[in-house]
Amino acid sequence: MTLEEWYRQDRLPHIYCAGCGNGTILNCTLRATNELGLDRTKTTFVSGIGCSSRASGYTSSDSLHTTHGRALPFATGVKMVKPDHDVIVFTGDGDLSAIGGNHFIHACRRNIDLTVVCMNNNIYGMTGGQGSPCTPYGAISTTTPYGMREMPFDLCAVAEAAGANYVARWTSYHVKELTQAIRAGIETPGLSFIEVMTQCPTSFGSKNKMRQVSQMVDALRANSILKDKADRNKAAGIPLEPGKFVVGELVRRSNPVLGGRP
Amino acid sequence: MKLVIDEHRCKGCNLCTMVCPYRIFQEGKRPGPRGYVIPALDQPERCTNCRLQKIYGRQLCGMCQLTCPDQAIAWIEEKPYEAHKVVIEY
Ligand SMILES: Cc1ncc(C[n+]2csc(CCOP(=O)(O)OP(=O)(O)O)c2C)c(N)n1
Ligand code: SF4
Ligand code: SF4
Ligand code: SF4
Repeated sequence: MTLEEWYRQDRLPHIYCAGCGNGTILNCTLRATNELGLDRTKTTFVSGIGCSSRASGYTSSDSLHTTHGRALPFATGVKMVKPDHDVIVFTGDGDLSAIGGNHFIHACRRNIDLTVVCMNNNIYGMTGGQGSPCTPYGAISTTTPYGMREMPFDLCAVAEAAGANYVARWTSYHVKELTQAIRAGIETPGLSFIEVMTQCPTSFGSKNKMRQVSQMVDALRANSILKDKADRNKAAGIPLEPGKFVVGELVRRSNPVLGGRP
Repeated sequence: MKLVIDEHRCKGCNLCTMVCPYRIFQEGKRPGPRGYVIPALDQPERCTNCRLQKIYGRQLCGMCQLTCPDQAIAWIEEKPYEAHKVVIEY
């Protein structure tokens, strides 16, 4: 199979705004499935609702575009009925951690054999840029016009604490590393959680002095700290600066798995 | 192999101009068929993929294609060399 065959060519170009990172993450995911030589008839993509969740509609294999926040329960059902399928979930930060928060925790606890790709654009993109549980402290959104006064969720820490077998975080700028992480996620039995920090120039950038796509990508690059460096800093007693985040492979373990291959 | 931008998909975000190590993608000036300003290609034959993909039998750099959010970048087969009649004017 070639990479092109993984896309539903008749549905392209997609609805994403110019420069939206979701398209890049879709590229990396499909590159990973293609590199691994997955069988298209045995790969299922599941997503909830949101800009990010539209991604499943652009893949040529089986895909389920489900209800807001419920991508993981649907995916759990698919995996339990078809354990020989590779089930990959596309979700947004709001979809996964706000309305779908409990499902997220329990999917990680069950350690069900899924690969979850969370496109974290810091905001509710599709509904006009309301603040989400991942909006950074102080950021402007339509519901926080004076700046966010709540601390954001650390989704990777939640996944780790709840029991996921593989946890990684990258950005839409780190395309090669992200592809590699998604490959590792698909290959690891149990719940693999890959958080991808991505740009939403329309709803987030325009309100936070990053109207240009390049400004958003530069900010992602500047704010990401490689795990090795973060570990060294931590050992030296230097705390993570506010607004910065750690990228890299954060957890890899082999806890008992639900719904693995027969 | 030849590097091409699909003008019906490109939305002119210029992410490709940020990532190409050889600066083959340059910010364009001309709007494409959908009104987006499409990047211009500066000597695309310098791209490692254009030159070496066939020899190595796999994609090499590919940063632009992976990054392009609109799936607009691809490599197409080039037509074999065709002999042309050369007319010399004196
Ligand atoms: C039950 C329910 N509540 C609210 C909505 C409205 N809604 C649609 S998309 C969305 C936000 C999506 O945000 P996120 O998951 O972060 O994805 P993004 O669009 O940012 O990629 C909301 C609130 C809905 N469709 N269903
Ligand atoms: S609103 Fe934001 S997340 Fe949604 S398509 Fe546009 S740029 Fe992407
Ligand atoms: S494959 Fe690499 S070298 Fe070739 S155009 Fe793309 S980014 Fe540039
Ligand atoms: S990255 Fe893709 S969509 Fe953006 S300008 Fe380049 S070719 Fe066009």
